Formats: sequence, C-alpha cells, structure tokens
Amino acid sequence: MEFLFENILNLIGFVVGLAIGLMSYIGFKNTGSPTLFRLTLAFLSISVGFFIVWSGYMAEDFVIQTGQIERWVQTLGIAVQTVGYFFIAFSHSIKSFFPKSRYFRSVGILPLFLVSIVHIEHIFRSVSFILLVYASIETILSYIEGKKKGTIFVATGLALLAFGEFLGWYSFVFPESILYYVSILIKIAGLISLFIPVSKIPLTRIKFDREI
Amino acid sequence: MSAYRTHMTIIGDILSTTRDEMEAEHGASVTFLIRKANVSHVRISKILINLVSQGLLEQVDSKGACKYKISTSGREFLVAYHTFRQFADNFGLTI
Repeated sequence: MEFLFENILNLIGFVVGLAIGLMSYIGFKNTGSPTLFRLTLAFLSISVGFFIVWSGYMAEDFVIQTGQIERWVQTLGIAVQTVGYFFIAFSHSIKSFFPKSRYFRSVGILPLFLVSIVHIEHIFRSVSFILLVYASIETILSYIEGKKKGTIFVATGLALLAFGEFLGWYSFVFPESILYYVSILIKIAGLISLFIPVSKIPLTRIKFDREI
Repeated sequence: MSAYRTHMTIIGDILSTTRDEMEAEHGASVTFLIRKANVSHVRISKILINLVSQGLLEQVDSKGACKYKISTSGREFLVAYHTFRQFADNFGLTI
C-alpha cells in the first residue's frame, strides 16, 4: 500500500514538475527572462527529484525486493527536490533575508556541524518545509496585491506541499499511522493545485523558438 | 507610489507602444516613446539600439527624423511576453 501511494505521488510530482519546467523553459527561450530561467531550474529539479525517488521504489519493487527503498536514493531525490524549492523561494527574493553580519554568518554555519549526526534526509525535508512555507507566504502576498485567481492556486499548492511535508514528520514519530497516507494525499493535492493555473496558459498562440 | 518595473517590463511597454499607438507606416519617435514608456533618454537609447539589433524594432527614416516601428518578430515576442507574464503572475513573480 505504501509503495502504491509513493509511486502515485512521485509520478504526479515528476509529470507536474516536468510540465511546468518545460513551459518555463519555452518562456525563457522566447523572452530571455531570468525569472523564467529560475522557474525552469526549480521545476526541472523538482521533477528530477520525484523521478529519482520513483526509480528507487520501482527498483526496489522489481529488482532488489528487500521491502524498503534504498535510503541513499530517497535522500538524493529529496535533496534534488529541495534545490527546486530553493529556486522558487529564491525567485521571491530570499536573498534579502540572508544575515549580513559576519557573526550571524558564522552562527548560521554552526548548526550544520551540530546536527550532522541526524539523518541527512530529515534535514533536507526540514529545509524543503521552510522554503515551501516562505514561497507560499510570498505568493499569498502577491495574490493580495494582484488579486489574480491563478496565484491563489499556486499559493495553495505550495502551502499543501509544505503541510504534507509537515505531516510527513509525524510518520517518523508514529510510523505505520494514517498520518503518513494523509500527508501523501495532501502533497498530491498540492501538486494538482500547482498545475491548474499553468494548464490554462494558452501556449498555442506562441510561435516557438526554432532552436527548441 | 508606482511599482518597480523590470527591464523586461520596460521592453514590453516600449514594444506595446509601438504596436498599439502608432500607425504602421509612420513609427514612433524617441520623444513619444520616452513619454509613453516613461523611461529616461539615456536608458531608452540603449534599449532601442538593442531592440533594433535583435530585430524586434525597425528603424525608419521619416522626414529626416529617426522613428521606430515594431517588426513581425517584435509582434511575436509581444505575444510570448504577454503569455509568459501571465504564467509568472500565477507564481506571484514578474518576468
């Protein structure tokens, strides 16, 4: 059951990430916009991340058959997804929140050494959660300014992904509980919500760049 | 307070002005573009040189004055610009 849910989530994540990533890339090639370039990197990373985890589950299901996905594959996939979430957050000027003083920079590095014994996958999940919450809040603020319907779908999608990640933590504390499945369903809903406004973009009117 | 405009937005405004507000055969003067796109002379001069070299604008000589009109590539660029501006808007971003 767990494998089925994980496969559905990772496949949807792969397809949605790839679709939005390719659309951003077409936009970047046609306009040269750096924002669209960052969105391309973000969504292609998210897509690749989901694909890596999906491959891990498929390899486990059909080849290795030990009953559990290889830990390093899952960690790698989540790390690549985190890179994607970083670029979404970065597009919302995350730079302005970086501490400027040397003291804060040095303190900022310290926790990385202190928590290095904790499983690295949990660190990536935590970073993903923070980036998703940040990007979601920024998108909600943009919605308040612009009142565009599509923006609220993206904000909801990012918020649901963050909430799914948050609930996912509980499954480490209470393994085998229903919370794990709820977190996966919420993440799937988040990915679908992300794709809704993008699917309404009329790409047919655009004469694509010949180099694509 | 007016919102900050990115370089891409200014280019979009210039191209939209040359497409929507001028008759096809005449073209827009630099002064007209400065007024409509709300950009300084120094900045718009650099942008216009760039747009002409990219083939998005055509330079026309009208009674000794240098004027600019939008090219076919410029019109195609504008369609893409408006589409992907909507795309970026969905993410709460500006292209």
